[in-house]
Amino acid sequence: MSTWDLFVNGFSVFLDPYTALMVVFAIVVGTIFGALPGVSATMAVALGLPFTYSMQPIPAIVFLVAVYCSSITGGSITAILFKIPGVPSSAPTTFDGYPMAQRGEAGKALGIALGSSAIGGLVSAIAMLTLSPQLTQAALSFSPADIFAITFMGLSILTCLDSKNILRTLISGLFGLLLACVGQDPMYAVQRLTFGSGELIAGLEMIPVLIGIFAVTEVLKQTKERKKLANEHDTGSVNTKMPSFKEWWGIKWLLARCSVIGTVIGILPGAGATIASFLCYSSETKLSKHPEKFGTGIIDGVAASETANNAATGGAMVPLLSLGIPGGNAAAVMMSALVLKGVQLGPLLLVNQPEYLSATFASMVVTNILMVVVAIGIAKVFAQILAVPYSYLGPIIIMLAIIGSYATNMSIADVKIMAIAGVIGLIISACHFNSAALILGLVLGVICEGNFSRAYTINRADVIGMFSRPVAGTLMVISILLLVWPIISSFFKKKEA
Amino acid sequence: MFELICNVLLWLGLLYAYCFNVLEAPIPERTARNPYTLKPDVWPKAIIILLLICIAINIINIIRKNKNNPEFKLDALMSIRARLCIGIALVLAASFILEPLGYMPTCVLVLFFYGLLLGQTHVIRLAVFSVLVTIVLYVVFSVLLSVNLPRGTIPELRNFALYVESIVASVKSAIM
Repeated sequence: MSTWDLFVNGFSVFLDPYTALMVVFAIVVGTIFGALPGVSATMAVALGLPFTYSMQPIPAIVFLVAVYCSSITGGSITAILFKIPGVPSSAPTTFDGYPMAQRGEAGKALGIALGSSAIGGLVSAIAMLTLSPQLTQAALSFSPADIFAITFMGLSILTCLDSKNILRTLISGLFGLLLACVGQDPMYAVQRLTFGSGELIAGLEMIPVLIGIFAVTEVLKQTKERKKLANEHDTGSVNTKMPSFKEWWGIKWLLARCSVIGTVIGILPGAGATIASFLCYSSETKLSKHPEKFGTGIIDGVAASETANNAATGGAMVPLLSLGIPGGNAAAVMMSALVLKGVQLGPLLLVNQPEYLSATFASMVVTNILMVVVAIGIAKVFAQILAVPYSYLGPIIIMLAIIGSYATNMSIADVKIMAIAGVIGLIISACHFNSAALILGLVLGVICEGNFSRAYTINRADVIGMFSRPVAGTLMVISILLLVWPIISSFFKKKEA
Repeated sequence: MFELICNVLLWLGLLYAYCFNVLEAPIPERTARNPYTLKPDVWPKAIIILLLICIAINIINIIRKNKNNPEFKLDALMSIRARLCIGIALVLAASFILEPLGYMPTCVLVLFFYGLLLGQTHVIRLAVFSVLVTIVLYVVFSVLLSVNLPRGTIPELRNFALYVESIVASVKSAIM
């Protein structure tokens, strides 16, 4: 079957009103799940599973893909409006989205988030349909050293996150890397830095830490300062108009870069949307003409994060469909559901059941387009909450943080970790450390150490040899240059002054 | 001063972790003998060493910057507002009472007292709001999303939670 046939075949699925209706329902459900803190994309897909039991395979695939894509986008709504990342991959969205909301530009931030999510999702869907086998082969040829080099490149942003406080940002990032070491080591499961606590053996769960450092810290800050939100006493309707064409045109290359990077990262096993959004945010900070504006509330930051995390959803589908290897946790849940429906995942899918591949593609395209309209409606409902006085909103955020942390693993320990992370976030802020750098270290730490250890063993303890591969070597050189450049340039600037 | 104290405490804590707590269990013998594996303590120890160096430089920078600053005294610690301290205490308390009291009492208490802390003066309205939001969140997470919210360990409160769950289950079965 040619690509065109797959294309036509895929969209013919939506001629069935039942399937079309199910997609709309899936988008509503997925966006709301994604927006709720503690309900990850994996959990959203798992919660969506029961709906598919009575469905035929194609509507089931279409439904689950729609839930998956829209849950990643839904996470941006609460990230922008309340600084609560609904899903971990929306954490970088808070860096610029929340300051924009505080300035009364919630509408623009949401518009950028939803629009760039759609673009990222569409690009990755096209990549999935046209380049699945090639992309999978390319991704599978990546060695642990290459993946380490990619994550190290993500860490190279550290010196750029706050150019005025390089040392403090570096300390924050290193502290995040250290927190990622808590629990069992990735190779031999030896316990480290648990201080005898049984609750820390499994390591620090990402969602409670994110919720604590972003949402709880913010409420505590508001408690101290009682700063009124920009649109606290608005009429309640937050305008979610899309940004102007000029603004979109200004970020066209950013969207292209983040779509490609997000798709590739999504394909890599074990990476996923969270790593993709952090990496793209970091690379765009480096490439930007005005890196100092990142984190202050600019559309570039929101677009980078949201394009990448949605592009990763399509990327994750590539190895799942063409090799039967899930790219992440949510893809693994989807895999079990698809196998239950009799889908033969792997190289023979395109030969024996091409209609399933085309249905997945069509679902991703339709979801990413419809999602903008549906999510704007849902965002408007969520945005009404901004009009609620903070004396009501603050306690609700605290309770959502508690339930969100608990719901991840049904663990009280996670709630305690969230509360402590909230207080640590406050101390970080008071000491002028950088919470974004800490989270970056925490997110990339596990994957960084795991791949470094593997590469070290494979290369028989030859560290130089590890980076003799072209991909790893080139990326490491670029990363070191990116890491050191702000330090050198600030040194020369001081000397000149 | 607060920043300096935090940095010094962090430095000391990291030194303690480096000396005593990086590894909680011995490295398996086979791993220890294998020269081609990265030992489990190498990565965290490398990070701690870098952190110790960076924090030491940061401490020196803070002292140097504030050498002639008259406000750089322990008094600065007093500027931490009482309201913030109560807020921190409430958040920490909520995380600790969730297990014994369960979801519903914790939610009502947090919503009510944090609302008061944030300056809400209408006590009755706040109480009604606390109960209503508790119910809404319960319906969303427990009923719709099937999240098993904590029931509490105190027998009376646990029985109450079970009673509510039985009502929800009967309503659900009636609808189905």
